[in-house]
Amino acid sequence: MGFYEQSVPPVRDTRLKIGDSYHGNACGLVNCGRDGCLLQKNRGFWQANACQMALTLMMAATVENAAIVMHAPGGCGALLHSLSVQSAKGKARRGKEPKAVPWLSTNLTEADVIGGGEKKLLETIKYADREFRPEIIFVVVTCAPSIIGDDAEEVVRQARPQVSADVVSLHCPGFRSRVVASAYDAFYHGILRGLELSPKPWVDFRPLPQGSPESELAEKNYQFERSRTVNVWNATSIGPVDEEEVRRLLSALGLKVRFFAEYSSRDELRMVSEAALNVSMCNVHDDYMLKFLEEKFGTPYVIAGMPIGFRHTRQWLVSVARHFGLEKQANALADYEEGLAREAIGPFVEQVRGKKVLICGGVVRVGAEATMLAELGLDVLGIRTYHYDDGAEPVYEDVVKNLPDTPVAVSNQLFELTHQIKTLKPDIVISHNGTQGYIAKLGVPSVQLWNVDSAFFGYTGIYQILRRIVFELKNTSYRDRLSKHVRLPYKPSYFEGDAFKYIKD
Amino acid sequence: MPDFIESPRTACALAGALSTISCLPGVIPIIHTTLGCGGNLANAVAFGSGYLGGGYCSGAQAPSSGVTETEIVFGGAERLHEQIRNTLELIDGKLYIVATGCMTEMIGDDTDGVANGFLDEGEPVIAVSTPSFKGDSYHGYEIVLDAIFNRYLPRAEHKNPKLVNIFGLIPGYDPFFRGDLEEMERLLTSLGLEVNTFFTPSQTFENITSAPTAALNIVFSRVWGKTLAGRFEQRHGTPYIICDLPIGPEATDEFLRRIAEWFGLDAGHVIERENRIFYGYFERAADAFCDQDLKFYAITVTNSNYAIPLARFLSRELGWVVADSFVTDKLTDEQKAALSGDYPLQFRTGVQEIARAISKNHPNSRGRRYFDDITPLYIIGSSLEKRTANARGAMHLSVSFPVYDRLITDRGYAGYRGGLHLFEDLTGRIMSLKG
Repeated sequence: MGFYEQSVPPVRDTRLKIGDSYHGNACGLVNCGRDGCLLQKNRGFWQANACQMALTLMMAATVENAAIVMHAPGGCGALLHSLSVQSAKGKARRGKEPKAVPWLSTNLTEADVIGGGEKKLLETIKYADREFRPEIIFVVVTCAPSIIGDDAEEVVRQARPQVSADVVSLHCPGFRSRVVASAYDAFYHGILRGLELSPKPWVDFRPLPQGSPESELAEKNYQFERSRTVNVWNATSIGPVDEEEVRRLLSALGLKVRFFAEYSSRDELRMVSEAALNVSMCNVHDDYMLKFLEEKFGTPYVIAGMPIGFRHTRQWLVSVARHFGLEKQANALADYEEGLAREAIGPFVEQVRGKKVLICGGVVRVGAEATMLAELGLDVLGIRTYHYDDGAEPVYEDVVKNLPDTPVAVSNQLFELTHQIKTLKPDIVISHNGTQGYIAKLGVPSVQLWNVDSAFFGYTGIYQILRRIVFELKNTSYRDRLSKHVRLPYKPSYFEGDAFKYIKD
Repeated sequence: MPDFIESPRTACALAGALSTISCLPGVIPIIHTTLGCGGNLANAVAFGSGYLGGGYCSGAQAPSSGVTETEIVFGGAERLHEQIRNTLELIDGKLYIVATGCMTEMIGDDTDGVANGFLDEGEPVIAVSTPSFKGDSYHGYEIVLDAIFNRYLPRAEHKNPKLVNIFGLIPGYDPFFRGDLEEMERLLTSLGLEVNTFFTPSQTFENITSAPTAALNIVFSRVWGKTLAGRFEQRHGTPYIICDLPIGPEATDEFLRRIAEWFGLDAGHVIERENRIFYGYFERAADAFCDQDLKFYAITVTNSNYAIPLARFLSRELGWVVADSFVTDKLTDEQKAALSGDYPLQFRTGVQEIARAISKNHPNSRGRRYFDDITPLYIIGSSLEKRTANARGAMHLSVSFPVYDRLITDRGYAGYRGGLHLFEDLTGRIMSLKG
């Protein structure tokens, strides 16, 4: 039985070669990933982080007209307060109604942990349906019910005929993988099993009598349109500004662009099958989904890195264009856009040349960002990626070629980041959201690796990233002063030794 | 009705424990769960408590055993042992508290045994059991403080007759806990007392270790911290009194008289001076307050700690008409009974549930010309009540968890200064619409 037929999705650890503990360089990382040594690595000291449930919720909270039922003890949904606010903003920015996401917790108690929480889950799903009338109810299955063996799938099966919403189960217990990126698969698994992904007659279109001239013309029109339509798969770190940049570039090639699956509604998701091509914007986001869509609907897909920096953007554009025989046009577009952008970034490049930079965050993004900044004349002191898996290999082969000696660490651990900042002494750190405060307390300038309000992709992105770096360096007084008053929790002896002393083979 | 909850306004016992530890000077958490719990739960207060953020060693800095499937199957004690050993090596702290989560409790790890092994070697390590299925964040606060004061710290050998400990305000889940504690400390100090608040930046680890010598524990909650204070009294012989958090001069005068009387002191000069200052400001604001008709019906939606103090301030100090007071924490019947008194309370948690109750209690005019609706209305609750208020055309101020439409540092609503702050914030929302 393939992964897609199973009710519970695989975690990345079983599907891919994966790791979260490594230090060395890009070449060593790629080899370690290939020969499996990465799988053996671990740490003797860990700091709290996130889990696949957190990221699964981030994605689920964006879906329009959805409600979320946490099948969990009372604490697990705590971050939904912030996710709900974030997604309301994301909806507004995409012209959708900025409604808060209703969510409930089955609030498993000691008695439920012993006796099972299935009955409660069914009641909660029915209540959510009745009270909020959502189009989709996401049932999020967390650690506790997974350990006690609640058959959430059976409950979902029972619930479906009793409620008006589509019920989608998302299995994402944190203990099953330390790798947060497993969430992408958990989310897509729920979507591909729980929702219709092709249009329904009479709901989405009006079937015409076969063979009539009207029908023939309509069919031709439709197929032409479809042959020019691409689904572009967004996720969490990709904001509306980046979507607009991607739309702008692909539209210039005459393609019609639709974004999935975040910020889509149930009705929009039924159009997924109606595209000529599925396009990824990150190697480690959506291969699970795109392979499914190829299997199910025969839709080919392109996974070609992230459109960050001149080289990666061109490569991404051309890979998409190739499918439509538009390579020449894509190259011409890239030439034109590069010309404009290079002229625009000229003054910034002068100001950032030679600046020492440390880059931390998602595996594909940091790889792309590092090579981009190196090409623009910055001195990349190190790359820190949150995890590594096979999917990222093409990006790291590129890093091997362009930054063969740059230290690369697979680490989402703040103590190691602190050590590297204190010993490598970067002029600026480009880092994942959630770490900015800690970096400020070290007195070091930093900018976000991504935030959904700014531009990072394509030509607009290059200009904006540089503009933000220059802006950050214009005044660093806040962090200079703050850092003088902050005491770190780490004993000083740690900073005299190896940053990665707690990594074990 | 089953006890599922819509948009819980608290998190798990572990979350409360972590939020509490994050504000205790020199105390380091060691989270015995998956890596995710620590980060996700820190997010609850880092976002939902007026952006409380991370402290000395909390949030993504907090040590965690990060158990995975292997430990769930084979047990996590070995991993925990290694994590504690390396935490002691790497992290500079005075007391290390291992806090468990659901999965390590469910598999039956002997967390106490592992922690005790270190304690026997002279390392300051203790363990607390904080799975979500045993209680929410309010319980987590009690569990941690109970472990420190009633288990870890030795019995007091002598008493400091001027020292008081303050309990009952829950770090993070009472979003103004720091400002409220600062004001209480200021006022009690002006009576001539010494005060352990534990959670404000002025405190050090010595405030924790000196706690058993206190002459009195003051619990600012009719619900939370009472059991803790009872056990404290048994162990250290310190009596406790339970008070509502005083907001504004009317309540604070009474509170100070009560404490002064307990210690045989005279609060008269402090009360006189504080009232002179309060009314010095309050009086000048009367022109705006009255000319602009800033008299409101009020609906409050808060946890049990704030419900009565807030209703009292609004009705006694501002002369507003409190139409409904909702209490949002999950309470037992006994706890609900402890809250009964002058202000009728309704016990509900869900946003939708409360919005519906408000509509039911106070229907709108439905176009009728002669209709006594409760306008002008001010809803003082959590940030979640914003949409309820908007839908009704009411004013809204966030004071209860989750608060994410304002950033809170040392602002508090307790005492005299707190009363002015609350007055200023309530009216400030109205003034901010001008221009």
